[in-house]
Amino acid sequence: MSNYKRASQPGRSSILSTLQATTMLDTKPVLPAEILVSILDFLPVSDQISFAKTSRRMKEMVYDDTRWVSRLVSMGCWDEAEARRRFEEAIKRKREAAERANAAAAGATPLAAKRTTLFDAGQEEERRKKLAEEAARAPEMRVDGFETLSLHASTKNSQEDPTTILDIYKNVRSIRGYARQEYGKIYGALAPFYYDLAQAKSHTEPAVFKAFRDPEKQAQMLRNLQRFSQNDWAQGWNERGEVLTNMCNIFENAVLREFEQGYESWDVEGKMKRYAHVLHDLNGGNAAMDVFVSKHPILNSRDALGNPMDCINQAPEDGITLEPSRAFFKALAIKFNEQSAVISQIFPDAENVFWTLLDKVREDIIGEYITPILDESHDRNLEAYLKAASGLFEQCMAFVGSLDPPSKSKQSLETHAKDFGLKTFDLHLDLYLREELDFFTKYAEREVLNWEQKLSEQDASVESFYMGNFNRRAAKNDFLSSFKKVVMMPVTVLPTIPISSPFGSSKSTAAAASGGNVRNSITGMPVASQTTTPDVDGSLEPKTGPLPSEAPTDELKAKAALMANRLEGIKSLFSIEVALDLVGSAREGLGRIAVFIRLGGQAGEEAREQCEAIFITLLKILGQDHVKNGFVKAVDHLSKYKAREVSDHDQEGVAPLVTFIELVNVGDLISQMIDVFYEQQLAAPKISDRNDFLDPAGLAKKKWEQMLDESVAAGLNKGIDVLMDEVEYICATTQLPTDFNPPPASQEKGTQQDGGDMGPTQTAIRVKDLVASHTNMLVGSTEKTMLDVFNGEVGLRLFTAVCKHLKRQRISTEGAMKLIADMTLYYEYIRGLKNQDLLAYFKALRELSQIYLIDAKHAKEMATIIADGDRFGGIFRAEEVYEYAERRADWYQVKRNVERAMYGMDCSVM
Amino acid sequence: MATSETTIVRLQSNDNQVMDVDKAVAERSLLIKNMLEDLGDAAASEIIPIPNVTEPVLRKVIDWCEHHRGDPPASNEEESDTRKRTTEIEEWDQKFMQVDQEMLFEIILASNYLDIKPLLDVGCKTVANMIKGKSPEEIRKTFNITNDFTPEEEEQIRRENEWAEDR
Repeated sequence: MSNYKRASQPGRSSILSTLQATTMLDTKPVLPAEILVSILDFLPVSDQISFAKTSRRMKEMVYDDTRWVSRLVSMGCWDEAEARRRFEEAIKRKREAAERANAAAAGATPLAAKRTTLFDAGQEEERRKKLAEEAARAPEMRVDGFETLSLHASTKNSQEDPTTILDIYKNVRSIRGYARQEYGKIYGALAPFYYDLAQAKSHTEPAVFKAFRDPEKQAQMLRNLQRFSQNDWAQGWNERGEVLTNMCNIFENAVLREFEQGYESWDVEGKMKRYAHVLHDLNGGNAAMDVFVSKHPILNSRDALGNPMDCINQAPEDGITLEPSRAFFKALAIKFNEQSAVISQIFPDAENVFWTLLDKVREDIIGEYITPILDESHDRNLEAYLKAASGLFEQCMAFVGSLDPPSKSKQSLETHAKDFGLKTFDLHLDLYLREELDFFTKYAEREVLNWEQKLSEQDASVESFYMGNFNRRAAKNDFLSSFKKVVMMPVTVLPTIPISSPFGSSKSTAAAASGGNVRNSITGMPVASQTTTPDVDGSLEPKTGPLPSEAPTDELKAKAALMANRLEGIKSLFSIEVALDLVGSAREGLGRIAVFIRLGGQAGEEAREQCEAIFITLLKILGQDHVKNGFVKAVDHLSKYKAREVSDHDQEGVAPLVTFIELVNVGDLISQMIDVFYEQQLAAPKISDRNDFLDPAGLAKKKWEQMLDESVAAGLNKGIDVLMDEVEYICATTQLPTDFNPPPASQEKGTQQDGGDMGPTQTAIRVKDLVASHTNMLVGSTEKTMLDVFNGEVGLRLFTAVCKHLKRQRISTEGAMKLIADMTLYYEYIRGLKNQDLLAYFKALRELSQIYLIDAKHAKEMATIIADGDRFGGIFRAEEVYEYAERRADWYQVKRNVERAMYGMDCSVM
Repeated sequence: MATSETTIVRLQSNDNQVMDVDKAVAERSLLIKNMLEDLGDAAASEIIPIPNVTEPVLRKVIDWCEHHRGDPPASNEEESDTRKRTTEIEEWDQKFMQVDQEMLFEIILASNYLDIKPLLDVGCKTVANMIKGKSPEEIRKTFNITNDFTPEEEEQIRRENEWAEDR
């Protein structure tokens, strides 16, 4: 506080002196330039010019180009790009001139004179040009100025050059450094009218309306003035603007009345056209458009076009027929196209009006038509609803496609069509997509459940049935090709409509192409495995011709029945009929939804996702609930199988294994079906991207294939066990001891008699047939690698089994012939499998069997063979061969000699 | 730190008059506001010298700040693209600006120095209104400008701008 007092005291005392000091100095405060600039900003144009006249400094300030550029910008007639171009051109010219000057300066002396004159001339010329330009501009400007002034003074000679005023904005150029001049032109032309109008009390007063008599020109002028008012920010601008707006409104209303009168008398060529153009000149003509659209007679003709309930009432119970709606859309399209012609006669921007009218029609007529159908059918029957939604959408799009808009730009028609479809079905789309998926899911689950129930009723009457009699692969291909035919058919929701559906046709050709490819690859490759099937694009394949359009559904059904008949044995596990049914139903749903994908944007994306969701659901239900269950059961059956407990071994196959292998075949068939389905329903119409490894549909498909492979692998593991059980059982039960060791009594005779009968024993033949028939069954139905592994495993186990079997036998030299025949039989069979590693085992086995052939006298040679590891390809070690040699019937007779030869031990040691 | 409403800052004009002003009022001046922010609380009790402004002008300026203390902070970013700023002056400001020209200019200079944009605008508008419709000669008088044009130049500039000569 004290501080304050101390400080204030001297101050108070010196007030007077300071005041005196200020007055005495009499420095009238001079405002700095920056403040003057901001003051200038608040001044009207005319006062700015007055300001410029006061002194050079002020002139500079006022003439500053940016000040005028900003005014031009506010009126929207400054083109920065143009200004830059001009500026750059000027710079370039200057640089060229400078270069010439440099060249002249650097030039040799004798030439210098010439060069300088040249340079001078150039510069001179440029200067002259510039002057001329300026001169040209100046008089022009002057003319404008005078004209408007005189125009303002007396409106009599106003028509002298009215077009320059009307088009004033078009002639404005954007030149840096000349913005003021350009602005001056506009100002000179429009400002008198503007300020005159701002002072007008009634709409008869303004000079604009006196100077221009035509409504067209009046409208144009008003528009110009409105634009001009954008750069008026001096005091009082809002009052002026208000007056102008009022004036415009009065004018607009008057014109609109004229337009309406013309409308009522349907005077298309006369009043309507004229006043629509006037309004367009004034402010884009939205008012005329609104009137035109809102009062359009087409909006009252809804009832005449058809009753939405016809679609439901005319259809059979719970069904829906889209014939009445088709007629409705057709009639509407005809009417609308008539209007299109009228619109392009009346309106300058006909397209805009056209689409606005269409929008209105969509709201008032189409919306009113579609909504009751959908609501009603949704209440009555879900399937009918789904059909109706998709069908009506297709019809809608066809309707827009058949329209004939005033300007023929394909692009805009397409975008408008999308927009139209989206808006029309905006309300229904979500519900529809959800219902579609629900419908399918429920249907699929019900089908699988039904089938399982039916199965459990008949239950254990599982009879295995062998289908080796016919060509399995041929049957499969036959079936698949008819399946493909059906899949390739476009979903015909609207079978009666002859409209060109680009979707349908393109799909079927694409399908035909890839279908041909698939078939080709299946038949072309001997071991067709599902994964390699349609990877190659069909571009190289000769395209098959367009397929007959009639649905071979019946054919397919027949084939399915036939197939099922043949596969009776595994019907209990899973049914190809069910799979077919589900796929068919999924295909229908997909076809219906796919129509919506065209919408693009979010809705299209949703529709696409829904398509994938259906596919995923299909795989899930078919895979997890149906196929996998079947496999689990089959594997179960397999693991319960005990070779020894089964009494009947006369049959050629092991029943559960056969069942299982058939199951693998059917699984493969279904998998191929899914694959074809994926390619044609999802990949071909670009619903799902097969190269996108994160795509849910692709993932689901992979998962499905993986599941199948796993199930097959798990089953095969069990299958091998079972098969080997069976092999061992056969070996143990059917191999007679005399097979390889014929009784010596009949030795002489036997060799002679059997001379022509040196074939393998019954046991070997049976074993080989057993194994071969089972492995053959798998060919073409599982992945090649898996098949190889399977075969390898089977071969190895067979080898072990044979070795084991061999060690139980006693083989005489005579019996050796038979043994060799056996081994050759196995060897030949294994060679058919084309597995080199495996072949080595059996080759060794064949070699091994020869040790029995060696006569007892040649113990030394026998020893060499036993010790010769290379001979058996490293499969048998010498000790092992020795063990086998022990199985010789005359082993104890030769043992000594052999051992001696082998270990180099002589009797001397003993 | 207590209630910022009641905080007082002290301003000292160039003739050593000290005025107590609410901080909120004084902070209409961006100059003072920034200064206080920079110096922190320590400066609260210090006297702030305003060397370029005399006491009567400072009082006038503070009056204005007092009246406009509640105004929303002007959108600091120049709305230069929408040049159409309002040029109307509200009634209170009009009365406020009914001072002699000398005072008016002083206020403008002070507001410029103290960085009080709205006040500066009001001042400029007032000046603009003042010279509206005046002849160049009158404008020269108002702003103390000497005419340095030659007659030819004067003629040329007149010719160049005929378009703007109105009504």
